[in-house]
Amino acid sequence: MEDRPTSLWRDAWKRLRRNKLAVTGLWIVAVLVLVAAIGPWITPYDFLSQNLDARNLPPSLSHLFGTDDLGRDVISRVIYGARTAFLVAVCVTVIALLIGVVLGAIAGFYGGIFDRVMMWFTDMTMSVPQLLLVVVINASLKQPIATWMEGMYLATLNPIWRNSALVDFVLVFGSMALISWPPYARLVRAQVLSIRSRPYVTAARALGLTNRIILLRYVLPNAMGPLIVAVSAGLGTAMVLESAFSFLGVGVNPPTPSWGNMISDGLRVWTNYPHLLIAPAAVLAVVTVAFNFLGDGLNDALNPKGQK
Amino acid sequence: MTTLLEIRNLSKHFDLRLGAFGERGARVHALDDFSVDIAEGETLSIVGESGCGKSTTGFAILNLHHPSGGSVLYKGTDLAQLDEDAMRPFRRDLQIVFQDPYSTLNPRMTIGEALSEPILFHKLASKADLPARLAQLLQDVGLSARFASRYPHELSGGQRQRVAIARALACQPRFIVCDEAISALDVSVQAQILNLLLDLQDKYGLTYLFIAHDLAVVRHISDRVGVMYLGRLAELAPAANLFATPLHPYTRALLSAVPEANPRAPRNRQMLQGEVPSPLAPPPGCRFHTRCPLARGLCRSQTPAFREITPGHLTACHAVTSPTATNWETPA
Repeated sequence: MEDRPTSLWRDAWKRLRRNKLAVTGLWIVAVLVLVAAIGPWITPYDFLSQNLDARNLPPSLSHLFGTDDLGRDVISRVIYGARTAFLVAVCVTVIALLIGVVLGAIAGFYGGIFDRVMMWFTDMTMSVPQLLLVVVINASLKQPIATWMEGMYLATLNPIWRNSALVDFVLVFGSMALISWPPYARLVRAQVLSIRSRPYVTAARALGLTNRIILLRYVLPNAMGPLIVAVSAGLGTAMVLESAFSFLGVGVNPPTPSWGNMISDGLRVWTNYPHLLIAPAAVLAVVTVAFNFLGDGLNDALNPKGQK
Repeated sequence: MTTLLEIRNLSKHFDLRLGAFGERGARVHALDDFSVDIAEGETLSIVGESGCGKSTTGFAILNLHHPSGGSVLYKGTDLAQLDEDAMRPFRRDLQIVFQDPYSTLNPRMTIGEALSEPILFHKLASKADLPARLAQLLQDVGLSARFASRYPHELSGGQRQRVAIARALACQPRFIVCDEAISALDVSVQAQILNLLLDLQDKYGLTYLFIAHDLAVVRHISDRVGVMYLGRLAELAPAANLFATPLHPYTRALLSAVPEANPRAPRNRQMLQGEVPSPLAPPPGCRFHTRCPLARGLCRSQTPAFREITPGHLTACHAVTSPTATNWETPA
């Protein structure tokens, strides 16, 4: 026994570090997060500035990923797309996680009618076709929100209300969170159900501790493992989902760069200018794969019993 | 000797819904009409085979399973009537130690955190006194103070069980249910933990309800022993009496199954026929009648009363009327 006490988290971290694929995934994700974070300082060109003399240029030293049909630098747009993707993925996952953990924990811990109503609600949400829901939300809410924001602008004269990208983001976050929380709720509920019958939880009850303490200090910390894996996979999925919605025109709208709407634009001209399609698509693919590697590695690290 | 707990007709039934749509209701009779007075400072053991309701008894007394009927009188309060909030002040006095040392401790908490929780919650020591109190608790259960910073997965089964005992002691309880507390341990460790429990009993005047299936252990440590069969108490007697003159036919069969050290010793094994009936549909009358060599008409229709045959020795059997003249040989 080494002398420093090792918590389960530290053990898991050790196991994760031994997993080459997971470490690769972690590095890719870390680099992309960094690039997205310092994007405005490293982009060679402004992502919006058009140069009509330099349209559809192939990749070169001055434009690493070439330029698009409006003469905008593609790598700058991909970097800004990473900002969009991470912003959407993180916000959507956090919102979905909040809803899912609260509902799932309460349903699993208290059981009874609480549980049944919440699970009906979850099943109902899952049974709605995702794309349809997002399209409906966009179609029905976009105009009212834009009108409301215009009203706010006239009332306050604060230019923040004039930012149309804000409407996109609010709608994208909202609608995607609305379809993303049920898997988290189900996962947390299943975990809580299995953990609340463990002897240490009964022992905590026998000690006289309150339900709140038992849920927060005994049940939830032990339900974290599978949840972390789900979040890692969920971040990747959210990015793909955002790209898919933007591709279909119900997500982030131009001119705000998103990998989805860049792929959509690139697809129309890919026979002549394949770099416009390949650049955003390749980056999206690499991030998705990286998140999957990381998720698998986390799964193995946090549930070591599943291995031989 | 003062009575610590007065348990009367304690019952616990679990309602199930069976069938594909939960259309059939069913009731598990886990515990029925359990009555006993537990004296301050004694060790009362409950034995019986798996599924006989021994653990349910412990859980029902502590109101960890809310009893379906009956009463548990403690300090003039009927614990069986209390809800979770009203029960809280009493929890301190009544503790439990579980069987499985591997799941009895929260894997995300150090030993120190696990032991501090009840102390701080019940305000049994100030923050400043806490380290000293932790060291004292660990010392009480034979562990050094540096275990406080360890996590459960770094400890052996015996060490974890010691921590579980320390956690129960942290509340300064008067009564501890030991729910198969040593069954999952190695035999050598079992003896250590058993001796630890006995030492602590002397030191702190603890009362134990010792739930077990190992008769040799029970004989060694108990003041009184209760034998359960299919949710009912079949026999209750001082330990020496029970092992010397078992009265209930089930107890006799159970004791005749205890292994002997000498393989050539003459033995009078009494093999019971058949299986334990399902607690979903316990037989009417005496629950043992389906397998009892003495069973007769009365046993099939009427539940036998719990009668005192000799002082302190009670049994629930129609056939047994005195310690010597039972109707053992002449079933009607």
